[in-house]
Amino acid sequence: MSEPLVLGIETSCDETAVGIVRGRALLANVIASSVEEHARFGGVVPEIASRAHLEAMQPTIKKALADAKVSLSDIDAIAVTAGPGLVGALLVGVGSAAGLAIGLDKPIYAVNHLAAHVSVDYLTHAQKIEPTIALLVSGGHSSLLQVNDITSSVVKLGQTIDDAAGEAFDKIARVMKLGFPGGPAIDALAKEGNATAIDFPRGLTTSNDWQTRPFDFSFSGLKTAVARYLESVPDYVRSDVAASFQESIVDVLMLKALAACKESGIDSLVIAGGVAANSRLRAVAAARCEKAGIALRIPAPSLCTDNGAMVASLGALMAAARREPSPVAFDADSSLPVTVVSLS
Amino acid sequence: MRITLAIDTSTSRTSVAIIEDGSILWSGHRDGATEHGPALPSLVQEGIKGFVIDEVVVGMGPGPFTGLRVGIAFAQSFALARGISVRGVCSLDAIAAQVNEKDFIVTVDARRKEVYWARYKDGVRVGEPAVNFPADVAGAPIHPNLYPDMKALVALAGNITEPMYLRRPDAVATADRQ
Repeated sequence: MSEPLVLGIETSCDETAVGIVRGRALLANVIASSVEEHARFGGVVPEIASRAHLEAMQPTIKKALADAKVSLSDIDAIAVTAGPGLVGALLVGVGSAAGLAIGLDKPIYAVNHLAAHVSVDYLTHAQKIEPTIALLVSGGHSSLLQVNDITSSVVKLGQTIDDAAGEAFDKIARVMKLGFPGGPAIDALAKEGNATAIDFPRGLTTSNDWQTRPFDFSFSGLKTAVARYLESVPDYVRSDVAASFQESIVDVLMLKALAACKESGIDSLVIAGGVAANSRLRAVAAARCEKAGIALRIPAPSLCTDNGAMVASLGALMAAARREPSPVAFDADSSLPVTVVSLS
Repeated sequence: MRITLAIDTSTSRTSVAIIEDGSILWSGHRDGATEHGPALPSLVQEGIKGFVIDEVVVGMGPGPFTGLRVGIAFAQSFALARGISVRGVCSLDAIAAQVNEKDFIVTVDARRKEVYWARYKDGVRVGEPAVNFPADVAGAPIHPNLYPDMKALVALAGNITEPMYLRRPDAVATADRQ
């Protein structure tokens, strides 16, 4: 049998995304984003996102099929993000995926958004990933995971106790009037600034934190510190604030990720999620991993943010590993735990 | 001889029927305002067994958004997978079809203490459906809490392609918030 041809649908937040893979080969990755509709609200508005998903779904599926030069009847399996995410947004993807699967009479894999983010690295790098530590950082998530088998066994080591890393970027960008989403804007501004100009706090890095919750993150204290700085220093240097703020986040993410590698004895790290597209995180991660003798993998920037290829990728890995497909009737789960790789 | 898969998720009920030339070959439903996601695929899978479906008809609302979208998204993708057409209907019209009165109003729950409603005279809808507080809906006998008649849903199938939301999404622009 040739490698499975899988169509993946992702609608957990504001991207309507459809990807098609054959085994580990990426054939199509189409993304329709409603980000511009959310910009004037300074964040994602769930109902706007859900309406945009329904409007974009059919054209996005058709575009993906055209890009991949395949027809729906060629598809071996459907994969879809079942959670975590915005429930109304997820359900558009789940409804669409179920309609395709039943219409085609093909199996469906209802997969975890976070595991899919990690699995997309299989489309960029050929070698087996597992076991690996995975740092998943985006606008909605900041988690450290131990991945023993991406199709069946993911262990959560820690996560943010307040804001996600990408959310902190958005909030600081809003205060500095840099627009939404904040990540790319701060990344660009920081390139002109001095990262050591301001000593912003590193959340959950006291010696007590390292003993009690070494792999959890906290970014709300940093957010408050930056806001207070902006108020108390009216003629602040914008680029220095951006660079110093970004440095604090990058520093903490890498400190904890490398500590997780060390404690678990696993010398492999995958960084995924939208924040993995941040140029400073990519540079610091490369330097520190090389020094520590850890094999670092970061998917191509276009595959770091939410996309359908990652969902298709995880579906294809599950099909190849002969994992049981999901039952055709399942519900979206807005708080699906990362330990549940797929619904059964 | 045309076999239609009929779907409606505009109320708290997920309704599915297989209809051929005005007669019901199979029908099923499941109640639960947050059950549309899992209920619809299992009902359709059971209903279509042994039938070759020629077209899909789906209720386009008005109705609570999240459930409504499940039905439309499913219907459109099923039709795409089979290479068949999908047509939309105003769900209130399919509800009104079962009421034998000269002048009446049908309402369905719209959450937030409001109802979606439309008035029918001599079997024809008067104007567009609207969303209001129940106290503001008057003028004719009111039929609340009915579910769509699936035969009527298919019989009335037209060319509505957009979901009937009748409300703007809730959001306050950042500039207005400060």
